[in-house]
Amino acid sequence: MAEKKSKRFEVLNNRPVHKDGFIAEWVDVGLYAMGSPKDPVPSIKIENGKITEMDGKKRDDFDMIEQFIANYAIDIEIAPQAMAKSDLELAKMLVDPNVSRNEVTKIFQGLTPAKINNVMDCLNIVEIMMGISKMRSRKTPANQAHITSAKDHPVQLAADAAEGALRGFVELETTVGVNRYAPLNALSLLIGSQTGRPGVLTQCALEEAFELQIGMRGLTSYAETVSVYGTESVFIDGDDTPWSKAFLASAYASRGLKMRFTSGTGSEVQMGAAEGKSMLYLETRCVMITKGAGVQGLQNGSISCIGVPGAVPSGLRAVAAENLITVTLDMEVASGNDQTFSHSDLRRTARTIPQLFSGTDLIFSGYSGVPNYDNMFAGSNWDIEDMDDYLAIQRDFKVDGGNKPVSEEEVVAVRNKAARALQAVYDALGFPPITDAEVEAATYANGSKDLPDRNVTEDLRAAERLLNEGINGIDIVKILAQRGFRDIAEAIVMMMRQRVSGDYLQTSAWIDSDGTVYSAVNDPNDYQGPGTGYRISEERWKEIKEIPWAIRPEDV
Amino acid sequence: MQVNEELIKKVIAEVLQEVMGEQAKTSSPTATLPQRGGKMTLVEVGVAKKGTDPKEVVVAIPPAFGTVFTETIVGVPHSEVLRQVFAGIEEEGLKPRLVRVYHTADVGFIAHQGAKLSGSGIGIGILSRGTTVIHQRDLNPLNNLELFPQAPLLDAEVFRAIGRNAAKYAKGEHPTPVPTRNDPMARPRYQGIAALLHNKEVRYLDRSKSPMELEVRFE
Amino acid sequence: MAQMLNEEMIAELVKEVLKGMSSSGGEGKPPTPKESTGQKGSLSVKDYPLGSKKPDTIKSPRGNAFSELTLDAVLQGRATFEDFRIAPEALLMQAEIAESAGRRQVASNLRRAAELTKVPDERVLEIYNALRPHRSTKEELMAIADELENKYNATACATFVREAVSVYERRKLLRGDIPE
Repeated sequence: MAEKKSKRFEVLNNRPVHKDGFIAEWVDVGLYAMGSPKDPVPSIKIENGKITEMDGKKRDDFDMIEQFIANYAIDIEIAPQAMAKSDLELAKMLVDPNVSRNEVTKIFQGLTPAKINNVMDCLNIVEIMMGISKMRSRKTPANQAHITSAKDHPVQLAADAAEGALRGFVELETTVGVNRYAPLNALSLLIGSQTGRPGVLTQCALEEAFELQIGMRGLTSYAETVSVYGTESVFIDGDDTPWSKAFLASAYASRGLKMRFTSGTGSEVQMGAAEGKSMLYLETRCVMITKGAGVQGLQNGSISCIGVPGAVPSGLRAVAAENLITVTLDMEVASGNDQTFSHSDLRRTARTIPQLFSGTDLIFSGYSGVPNYDNMFAGSNWDIEDMDDYLAIQRDFKVDGGNKPVSEEEVVAVRNKAARALQAVYDALGFPPITDAEVEAATYANGSKDLPDRNVTEDLRAAERLLNEGINGIDIVKILAQRGFRDIAEAIVMMMRQRVSGDYLQTSAWIDSDGTVYSAVNDPNDYQGPGTGYRISEERWKEIKEIPWAIRPEDV
Repeated sequence: MQVNEELIKKVIAEVLQEVMGEQAKTSSPTATLPQRGGKMTLVEVGVAKKGTDPKEVVVAIPPAFGTVFTETIVGVPHSEVLRQVFAGIEEEGLKPRLVRVYHTADVGFIAHQGAKLSGSGIGIGILSRGTTVIHQRDLNPLNNLELFPQAPLLDAEVFRAIGRNAAKYAKGEHPTPVPTRNDPMARPRYQGIAALLHNKEVRYLDRSKSPMELEVRFE
Repeated sequence: MAQMLNEEMIAELVKEVLKGMSSSGGEGKPPTPKESTGQKGSLSVKDYPLGSKKPDTIKSPRGNAFSELTLDAVLQGRATFEDFRIAPEALLMQAEIAESAGRRQVASNLRRAAELTKVPDERVLEIYNALRPHRSTKEELMAIADELENKYNATACATFVREAVSVYERRKLLRGDIPE
């Protein structure tokens, strides 16, 4: 006899949320978001100016991560006083408007990983959000976009970079479908970004030494995919140590290039090597490695492992908590929201609320500036087709998500200009020609499906030439100036000049159209309760309010 | 694509069993498994030796492949996986050889181990959940010839193509890479489960045990 | 997982970059450092951003004034690609600012960076690779530390490498600690 089935449950089972993977906790292997009973118990012992015991372990038994943290990340002057405070007392400091941000960061720099981890578990999600808002390093929030193409289409990339810059993203990140296209993708982003708004930072996420090289050339201005991990074995499987990564960080700064590290909950357990610790405890160690290395910021918020914390109880609370730890230790945070996370529109919106409503240095890292089918980071949590929803939410809640409404005319104009500028540069360099038809298609395209295919083999030969012939940012400047794109040339010179002053090496830096750098140094978050900290200015509110599709009384 | 519920249930049941105190087995010399896609018997016949036959391609699998687990994350039976990979290799006129690697559950290192044991210098590593790498002896372990990271997108057809391409590399040809599939929504669906499966897989490792030669019989 | 580095590829790329740099105006000449413009201990958050508030104090490694690094200078050949590099003095000034903002680790990183400005691109990448796990013997790393100290006067970096050696030795991260 056929079992009788509930129609209600049939409806529920067919909802998108049922396509997501949910799993139960498994404490022993660390498939556990935060506050695991197997996490270490906080402790610290300091003798002769050295940490000799941390979180129940003697110095002689420290693994490389623990030693690095003990040597570089913990302020031993403040540690005895900080560690003596109860978890609850410390948790309250994070949300108490009467305790200044400076005081909190000072105290928290005296805590061990296990202690910070315990403090986080005292907070509910609203308190974590309150904490992010108060503790964020830079006062003004901002946003980053992914600009990629399933075809690695150079003209599309230039046009989308221009549009992304126009829409208010302060950083643009690209990567590749086909590896060898990378130099051309970086070139498209450079030209496109500076067409859309001078000052927008660009990066090309790829193998680490290549990123450094292309940055030295002046084709990109920052890097972010320098990964660190929370257990020794996974760190070594990733072919690095805290010392090699810290050395790489100094190498970037020595060439005047901004960079941040990347980490996130779930990466260790994903590799089957979490040593039975919770995801958040291991991520706390990653944040502290970053702090100790003297890197100005961190991209975290699970990032490419979001499916793991996203599948276990309290996982997204842990993801918000890792952002909070980063800013509490006085670093820039590029706070995730950058990978497909759920089939459910409700869940994916909810996932973004903690970062969007609290405001972070970069709310997304990044928001897909192209349709997700073109997103070569395997898809972001939000894409360009969600943009009007995003703008509406900014307006609904009077919250600054870093983006602004734009008109179709403006978008078409910057896309066209970027495409033509790239056409001129390809022509001057003797690269495979960009036809007027391609310029036209890119101007009006939504995604790569709207563009004709290019001759990939010939493009790749050009990419190779770009590398082999040592073509650099200044070569591009000269061509643009000669071909009538003097304003874009000026913008690229301004970007090249940033690496001489090094202003944008400071914490949480972004660059304004006139070349002025804003960072946690000259725009520090000074939240002290209502009426303080970041408040949307009249000018910005007008911008956010005026979505072009709202009906005005005078229109009716 | 169907989530393989039975597999997940089985894993969860086993996890619970372990939590209750049952010891995980570290090796299973012989396994005969009735399963969809036909029966397959894997028999260990001694420590795997470095091959000399330039016409062989070594397929390397971790301890739980075909023993604790019998299907990939989307329910492709392990017997079918091996059948297709072998068929692909044979289509190109080469010979497949099967080894079980005990000391690592990293697909890159497993495949590299296979390549080092292979007379042709080409190896294929396949995780129980399906993740696959084609490797070459003289490459860095974390490098590869071809990588198929999204296990949920690998079906019989892809496994056959992987076997074919590995054989072509072994013959010194430069085949067009097997087209990689990309599904942005695979992560939300499978990443958590993949983490669960992988933690299961690493429990059967034996860091000190050498790779073993396997005889496989499809019935 | 972090992507793996193919050393040969890097070596090749670096050679190409260097070739490219010398053909695009660098002419392989070592930059001649001008006298220090940073006054030690005198900068604070009030002086930031230097590019807006103290442009006169910044110079490129070959001595171009910051405000002269313009499009016209590029077009007239007064500024080349090589001039758009940070000088150690600028990094030390930024380190002072970071310190005055309470970020001592950022300041240390910028000071190590100032030392590395003198190390050629290719050598920087080689040292990075040598510091990766199971890549180098103790002797090789100690030699790198000596080279940093003696050849480039990079004392902070040298100390950092020596510390890595002691950790790698204890945690078995040197070459030969695992079967090859």
